[in-house]
Amino acid sequence: MTKKILSFIIVGILLVIAIIYAATTGSIQMGFFEFLGALFEKGNSQMEAIRDLRFPRIIVALFAGAALSVSGVLLQSVMRNPLADAGVIGISSGAAFVQLFIIFFFPTLFFMTPILAFLGGALACALVFMLSWKSGLSPLKLILVGIAINAMFTGLTEAFISLGGSLNTSAASVIGSNLTMRTWQDVSMLVTYGTVGLVAAFAVYHWCNLLVLQDKTVKSLGFQVERARLIIAAIAVLLAAVSVVVAGVISFVGLLVPHIARRFVGYDHKVLIPFTALAGALLILVADTIGRTIMTPLEIPASTIMAIIGGPFLIFLLRKE
Amino acid sequence: MEIKDITVSHDNTRNHLDGVSTMIQKGKVTTIIGPNGCGKSTLLSVMSRQRQPHIGRVSLENKDLVRYKPKEFAKKLAIVYQQNDIPKDLTIEKLVSFGRLPYQSMLKRRDEVDEQAIDWALTCTNLLDKRHVDLEALSGGERQRVWIAMALAQQSEILCLDEPTTYLDIYYQIELLNLVKTLNEEHQLTIVMVLHDMNQAIRYSDHLIVMKDGQIVAEGAPTTVMTKEVMKEVYGVDAVFREDEQLGFFMMPVGI
Repeated sequence: MTKKILSFIIVGILLVIAIIYAATTGSIQMGFFEFLGALFEKGNSQMEAIRDLRFPRIIVALFAGAALSVSGVLLQSVMRNPLADAGVIGISSGAAFVQLFIIFFFPTLFFMTPILAFLGGALACALVFMLSWKSGLSPLKLILVGIAINAMFTGLTEAFISLGGSLNTSAASVIGSNLTMRTWQDVSMLVTYGTVGLVAAFAVYHWCNLLVLQDKTVKSLGFQVERARLIIAAIAVLLAAVSVVVAGVISFVGLLVPHIARRFVGYDHKVLIPFTALAGALLILVADTIGRTIMTPLEIPASTIMAIIGGPFLIFLLRKE
Repeated sequence: MEIKDITVSHDNTRNHLDGVSTMIQKGKVTTIIGPNGCGKSTLLSVMSRQRQPHIGRVSLENKDLVRYKPKEFAKKLAIVYQQNDIPKDLTIEKLVSFGRLPYQSMLKRRDEVDEQAIDWALTCTNLLDKRHVDLEALSGGERQRVWIAMALAQQSEILCLDEPTTYLDIYYQIELLNLVKTLNEEHQLTIVMVLHDMNQAIRYSDHLIVMKDGQIVAEGAPTTVMTKEVMKEVYGVDAVFREDEQLGFFMMPVGI
C-alpha cells in the first residue's frame, strides 16, 4: 500500500517540476520565482507569450499523454493482451486518416472531427478484433494484424498528403504529430473530450478487473462480457481519437506507460488507471520539452522521441512474451 | 432441473448430445461419467447455460433457462471449470469477492451481506487465514479450492463442477471430494459434477448418469447403475464389482 502512495507522490512531484520547467524554458527564459511572480500579474509581455504559446502546448501534452496511456490500459484489458496500444495496432492512424479526409473534403465539418475520427479509430479497432479473434487474441497475432492495419491507414494518409500537397498544404501540417502552435481552441477540444474519456475509463475499472478472468468464468457470474468489452473498447478509441485529432499520432505511449505503471502500483485498475494517466501526462510532457529544448531552435516532435524509446521497448516486451 | 430432448452439435456434422433427457434432483449429488468425447462436459455446459441446445429445452423451477436474466441465473447456479488461468497480482479474497457480482450493480457495491457470504465461502474451503495471499503463491489443490470458494460466494442452490479432480494429486482429490460432500450434506447444495474416476463417482454420488456417444446409457443409484454389462458397453472394459465391508461397493478393471 505504501509503495502505491509513494509512487503517486513521486509522479505528482515530478509532474509539477516538469510543468514549471516546460513553462519557463525555451526561447523565452524565466527564473522560477520570476515566473511565479509573473503568473498573477497582468501586462507582462513575456508572460503573455508564455500564456498564449507554451501553456496550450503543455496542457495538450499532458492530456494527450494521459489519454493515450489510459487508452492503452483499456485496450490491454479488453484484448487481454499486454501488447495492445492504440498507435501500434492502427487505431490512431485510422482516426488520423478520417481526420485528414474531413479536412480535405468536408472542411465545414471541422468541429465534428473528434467524433468522425472516433469512427475511424473504431473501424480500425473492429478490424483488428475480428481478424485476430479466431486465434484467441494471441498477443503476437494481434500485433501482426494491428501492424498491417496501421500500415494500411498510414499509407492511405500519406497518399492523400502527396496527392493533395499542391492543393492543400495546410492538411499535412494539421496531421503532423507536432505539438507546436497549439491554440486554446485545441486545448478546450482535448480537455472536454479527454476528461469525458478519462472519467468514463475510471468508471469502468471494476469491469477491467473482471476481464482478467476467462470469458466462461465471468459469464457464469452473470457478467455480460460482450457488452462490457464493447463499452471499454469504445472509451479507449475515444481517448485515442481525440488525442490524435489534437496532438497527432504518437505511438508506444499506451504500451510503455501502463507496463511501467503496473510495476509500481500493481494490476488493480482502480489504482492503475489514475496512476497511468498521471505517468502518461508526465512522459509526453517530458518528451515534448526535451524535443523542443535539446537542439533549439530545431524541434524533435514528441512522437519521434516516443518512437525512438518505444521501438526497443516493444522488442523487449516481445522477447519476454 | 429438468432436461428434455436436448440435441447439441458443435460443428453441424455430428450430434455431441443426441436427444438427452434427465432430471437433476434437488439436494443430491449427481455425477456424469463416460469415456472422453461422450458429451458429459457438453451436457454440463448446457445445464450451466454456457451453450444453447439446438433442439430441446432445459428448465429450472419450471422456468426455461433462456428466460433467466444473466445475474438472476448466476444466483441459482454456479460452476467451477477444470482449468482456470491464474490472474496476476490478485488475492484470494479479491477473487472470491467476484462471486458476489450477481448481487452487485453500478450503484450497489460490496456490503455487509457480501462480506458474510465471502467469509462463509472462505471458511467452507478452509482458506480463511490465507485470504490475503496472492493466487500465484498457491498449490494446485488450493487454487482449485479458491475457484470453488468464488462459486460458493454466489450462494447458489446448484453447484456444478467440471472434472474438479483431473489435475490434482490424489491427496487433493480426496480433500476436494470431501469438501463437495460436506457442502451437500451440511449446506444442502445440489451438486452436479463430471468425474473421470469411477470409484470416486460411486463413492461420492447419490445419482449417476453414464453417457456414451452423446446419449445417456444408464442412470440411477451407483450400485444399481454400475454393472459388468455397462462397463463393457460404455468403456469396452471387463470389470469386477465387489461389495466389501470396509471398502464398500467398488470396481476393479481386469481386462479389455
